[in-house]
Amino acid sequence: MAGNGERLLQAVADALKVDVASVDKNSSQDTLEGWDSLGMINLVAELERVFEVQFDILEISDFRNISIIKSILAEKGIRFD
Amino acid sequence: MLEIPNNWLESVRKLVSEASASPGPATVRAALAGVGALEEHLQGRSFRVGIVRTFTIETQLDVIRLALSTIPCRPTIEIGELENIEQILLDPESKIMSSNPDAILVLWRLEELSPRLLYGHDMTDGERERAMADVIDRIQRLCSEYLKASAVPLFLSTVPVPYALGTGLDDLHSPYGWHRAVLQVNDALLDLAACHGQIYLFDFASWAAAVGHTAFDLRMDLYARQPIANRAVMTFGAALANCFRPLLQPRAKLLALDLDNVLWGGLLGEDGISGLKIAHDFPGNIYRRIQLYALTLKSRGVLLALLSKNNPQDVEKAFSVLPDMPLKLRDFAAIRVNWREKHENLKDIAHELNIGLDSVVFLDDQAFEREQMGYNLPAVRVLSASEDPLQILGALVACRDFDVHRVSLEDAGRNEDYAMQTKRRELELASRDKGEFLFTLGLRASIARVNESTIPRMVQMLGKTNQFNVTTRRHTEADVRRMLAGSGNLLMGMSLSDRFGDQGLIGLVIGIGNDESGVFSVDNLLLSCRAIGRGAEQALWSSLLRNTSRMGYKTLMAEYIKTPKNGQVSDLFDRFSMKRRPDSTEERVYYELNLPASYPMPQWIKVVDET
Repeated sequence: MAGNGERLLQAVADALKVDVASVDKNSSQDTLEGWDSLGMINLVAELERVFEVQFDILEISDFRNISIIKSILAEKGIRFD
Repeated sequence: MLEIPNNWLESVRKLVSEASASPGPATVRAALAGVGALEEHLQGRSFRVGIVRTFTIETQLDVIRLALSTIPCRPTIEIGELENIEQILLDPESKIMSSNPDAILVLWRLEELSPRLLYGHDMTDGERERAMADVIDRIQRLCSEYLKASAVPLFLSTVPVPYALGTGLDDLHSPYGWHRAVLQVNDALLDLAACHGQIYLFDFASWAAAVGHTAFDLRMDLYARQPIANRAVMTFGAALANCFRPLLQPRAKLLALDLDNVLWGGLLGEDGISGLKIAHDFPGNIYRRIQLYALTLKSRGVLLALLSKNNPQDVEKAFSVLPDMPLKLRDFAAIRVNWREKHENLKDIAHELNIGLDSVVFLDDQAFEREQMGYNLPAVRVLSASEDPLQILGALVACRDFDVHRVSLEDAGRNEDYAMQTKRRELELASRDKGEFLFTLGLRASIARVNESTIPRMVQMLGKTNQFNVTTRRHTEADVRRMLAGSGNLLMGMSLSDRFGDQGLIGLVIGIGNDESGVFSVDNLLLSCRAIGRGAEQALWSSLLRNTSRMGYKTLMAEYIKTPKNGQVSDLFDRFSMKRRPDSTEERVYYELNLPASYPMPQWIKVVDET
């Protein structure tokens, strides 16, 4: 079973339709192609599916980079070791 | 959730069912890739659908595509810009309308059609009334303009009840509230579908009601105007697949029913007639419901067959003395009450009724019978039932194989038709020879050009006729309308009746004319299986030659494309005295005939030619 860190990168890659190798913990809206408004909708859906969580609208509007997403997920009890 | 074709590879079925259970981008793409790698005939026909909409669904298209692929078909979805409904649909040059679609789907909600009706707190009753009339007027105008501009089937979605407006308790009691607006818009949509054969409905509202509060996601609706919740989008796709399926799949023709513990509770042989449960109260009322549903299907043109391991005298007695039986023995087109294997009986019945096993649905409470049927006759659709009568009713009601958008007169009359067929067979047996039999039938044919009222039946025959079908080209409604629009083309239908009754439209010939080359090509010629063997094709051919000669064509071309089922017409054009071209193969035979030419009308048919 992959760790949550890897699952996060994979989910981002799947949602934005990019190679997982091009995603890392420093990736953001500015570095990843596909992280546009439609990509964002995919991203929310995929993260909610993979981590079985529900984001509220304020959290969604904060999704600018991987580290913010990580901290929001961490607040929901997802552990990144 | 998705119904996956059972002839797909197990590995692909697994991918699709995983994606169906948890639709993420990766699982859905893997499933689509798996389906795309299947042999083409397993994937089904190509199906191009253009979607215009008032809200965002872009990110959900892969899921919808996957759901549609299970019809099965090879779907291509072209999606229009937000809101531009009229601009797209009424412009033949728009990307969607010029992409040669097989169907157009309009997805809309009152939220976008008239936000004022939902949020116009400052409106007077008069203004609200006008706003409602405006929405309906817009829809009606769109349809009337569309029907002038396009031949492609138009699927309009009903509008769901707005989900984020609170209880609306006071609205419900006011004369011009949004509750009434929803009902009136949907009422207008139903009217349009009832009046125009080219307009169909997708029941978006019923989908939303069935899914309930998880159908929509207010966050994504407000964030990106994407209202359909991701958790619900697979069921949305499945609902769309169910809606489009009748365009692509011929409907099943026969429902074969077990008797004990399906049509009544208990075992006739053990419990005796007095021990059977069939009544207005529980548990007999469940079996009554099953019987009533079977009768509903019958009224929509489905044939019923009875398959039971019992003593025939006992069954006859039970049917005649039980007071609360909606079904009578005469409702069945075929009855086999004996101790033979059910698959042998069913094979006989299919042969007798002249229908393919792939258009048969089988319902039995016994797992053993279901398995044996599935094993011996894999083409038969075996419903997954159990011994629980409610589950049997549920399986029957959920079965989509009998679905059809519009029940044609021919469908509704099918049961009587098979009864006539039996009488004809008796006459045939009593006649000295085929010639005498045909003359004693008193056949009357009427031939006319295909028109608006006969298009649905023509498309239906193109979709499901297998045996007397020279090319088996499965044209869609849009194809037929396009061909009708070509001035040199000829589409003629033939109806047939005899002294036993009227069979309705049973024959079709389609020809494409090229004025420049003077060549007229027969695209297809077919007869419904219930009209075979009476020489009616000769009348159609005679009329075709008369018409094409009169139109000034110099050459008539035709072809026979071999399929596993159409062997009986392999020499049809030889019988019509056409010349085989040397480039013919066994699979595909090309024919030519110089025009003008004629062919005698069959003397045993009184033909009214209205072409």
